[in-house]
Amino acid sequence: MKRLTKYRAGMGAASALALTLVLTSCAGSSSPEGPAGEVTADNPFGLAEDAPIEVVVFDGGYGTDYVSFAADVLNESFPGVDVTVSPSGAIAQELQPRFVAGDPPDLFSNDGAGPIPTDTIIDQLATFDDVWDAENLDGVKISDAVFPNVRDDGTYDDKFIAANYVMTVIGLWYSNSLLEQHGWDVPQTWDELLELGAKAKEEGLYLFTFGKEAATYYEWMLLDSAIKEGGLEVITDIANLEPDAWSHPAVVEVYKAMEEAIAAGYMMPGGAGTQFTQAQAQWSQDQKALFYPSGSWIENEMKDATAPGFEMTVAPFPTLTTDSALPYTAIQAGAGVPFEIPADAENVAGAKELLRTMLSKEVASHFSETTLAPTIVKDTVPADGFGSTALASTMGSMESAGDDIFNWLLSNKSPAYYGIDHGVPFISFLSGDMTAEEYLAEVQAMSDKVAADESVKKLDFTF
Amino acid sequence: MGRATFIVTFLFLPMTIFVVFIVNPFLQAFYYSLTDWRGFSRDMNFVGLANFNTMLADPVFLTALRNSLLLCLVLPTAILTAAFLIAFTVTAGGPFVGAIRGLKGGGFHRVIAFFPYTIPSIVIGLIWAQVYDPTRGLLNGVLTGIGMTQFESFPWLGDTETAMGVSMFVIFWGLVGFYVVLFVASIKGIPGETYEAARIDGAGRARMVVSITLPQMLSSIQTSYVYLGLTAIDAFGFMMVLNPQGGPNYSTLTITQYLYMTAFGKGQFGVATAMGVLLAVIILIYSGLIFGIFRALGGRNERNAVA
Repeated sequence: MKRLTKYRAGMGAASALALTLVLTSCAGSSSPEGPAGEVTADNPFGLAEDAPIEVVVFDGGYGTDYVSFAADVLNESFPGVDVTVSPSGAIAQELQPRFVAGDPPDLFSNDGAGPIPTDTIIDQLATFDDVWDAENLDGVKISDAVFPNVRDDGTYDDKFIAANYVMTVIGLWYSNSLLEQHGWDVPQTWDELLELGAKAKEEGLYLFTFGKEAATYYEWMLLDSAIKEGGLEVITDIANLEPDAWSHPAVVEVYKAMEEAIAAGYMMPGGAGTQFTQAQAQWSQDQKALFYPSGSWIENEMKDATAPGFEMTVAPFPTLTTDSALPYTAIQAGAGVPFEIPADAENVAGAKELLRTMLSKEVASHFSETTLAPTIVKDTVPADGFGSTALASTMGSMESAGDDIFNWLLSNKSPAYYGIDHGVPFISFLSGDMTAEEYLAEVQAMSDKVAADESVKKLDFTF
Repeated sequence: MGRATFIVTFLFLPMTIFVVFIVNPFLQAFYYSLTDWRGFSRDMNFVGLANFNTMLADPVFLTALRNSLLLCLVLPTAILTAAFLIAFTVTAGGPFVGAIRGLKGGGFHRVIAFFPYTIPSIVIGLIWAQVYDPTRGLLNGVLTGIGMTQFESFPWLGDTETAMGVSMFVIFWGLVGFYVVLFVASIKGIPGETYEAARIDGAGRARMVVSITLPQMLSSIQTSYVYLGLTAIDAFGFMMVLNPQGGPNYSTLTITQYLYMTAFGKGQFGVATAMGVLLAVIILIYSGLIFGIFRALGGRNERNAVA
């Protein structure tokens, strides 16, 4: 009896190590080159007519239908090519054993809440230079058909390894109808924002609301405001883990303004215990809060929980002063949803051919029409944004910004590149449990720690 | 069945499975914990105990360690105490005359208690996360409804004072039913004559619990303690749903969660496996302690039973 119980306990102990087991994946064999087809103008990468393509796509706000649609279009030219599109909720977790075994999918979107940290796989990815030099299905050279910065955004350590597909704007989202109803203007400086906070409070409304998983959206707002105030050096220093990056005066002042807003009660209470989609519904459905900082995926994400007549619209984040380094209209916009190709995938040519298809007008327009978000392919969204105020204002905000578009977040060239996660202390800051000064000291310490860690290879970022 | 066939089937086969699927991965994991493996390729260099140093110098890891130990100390005792009291009441808490029997409707109580155990931990977590929601949740709705306005928008899962307590309650709620059913079976296994004899000798209910029921159930309780300790120290499913980032100021972060984040979020699989190795050591020590304590408690009984 006793021995049996002990054995059972041993079994139990071992099964508790299930997570450890995950880390000990067994070896597999990697096959050398995939079957090659003839390289022609219509087949620039030499896709063999019967070589299957496997794509793993993060199943988030945009779903995975757009890739299946592209696969259908590809099948018109390559009817024998079998394309498998697998949705995934956790990219890093699902693909890790396959990378180790040398059996990764041909193409994957490294997106969502659990992407593979880019710095761990740079050396294992194929480059996209030949895709950008190829022509899309419309006969336009891809580098001319897409927005110019996409290549830079996807280049790490001089290697162009990530093809970001979706154009995304990060800004302050609000209900145009709600503001008009109260006769309020969109605040352009932090002083105006705080004034509006006081007025809203009298009406029983809050400026902001947040949820625990997406608290970091507020950090994007604060950093973007600081960048507009102090110039791009602010984010360059932060990304390069400089020792005094988080004590730049522009950063400190913006965080202090936010601290003031929180202390004055302009943030809806309880965020630290609220699930983020619930918090977003407090803004889009209950309309208890005026603003929500987010990316242009927000419309699609909340489409089932948005009050009728909401008129979802995006504005640039407020500046600190009126003589800031970048103008008020400056906005963070760039390509997100990075597609990547493992260098030792079975069918690299197939992955590139599928991407070439996705970068053609037919597929890109279909994506925008169904998800109400623009892709990196130019001229695929009509002026009325397919009837969406959010999409129309997304396009409009990029136009107003002109050359003052910057991007550090969407290309993942932020502290997150090194896996630094501010989530937990930032929630304490938003809950009012931590002052701006305490918070900034804590994130500086996180940055210093990675900077001092010699096992982490550092890149030199410039913005 | 010949002797050789018997040995092969009953000893060799399980041993092979044990070595291949348990001992071997464990040794592999130990080796990985001594390397700088980043997880997505097969490249790794031997770095000695550096990962263990990194891990133990990390204040967030130490918080996670403390939280996991707290879960492991509080949850098994709380769940098993409650389960025992419920099980005893429904099986042997009935009228004090005639044959020993449970409360009227005991079967119904057993079903009620067991019900949450049939729901997956993820779903339990999702349900309770909604109950605890500060503005739309049931709990604050009820509390403010009966006039306790201080709980308006109170973030149960977002306050360092309450997050761990309410998370523990969710796990308690989810698991207690299974142990009620287990203990009911165990109590029913005690011969009714033993109770009757005790009653004739003048024992009251409390005396019967302490002198008859508990000693006869020691081996079930011991097994439950070990198993529940492992579940509590893991707690991954529940905690990932309730507070995926580890809760306010990391107050609900468990070692398993931090292991996961370190591996898949930061690509530091070497450090993550070091955490896994430490976790295994903690679990072995815990199991050893439980066995030691129960041997001290019930050693005489068990010797008598075997003899």
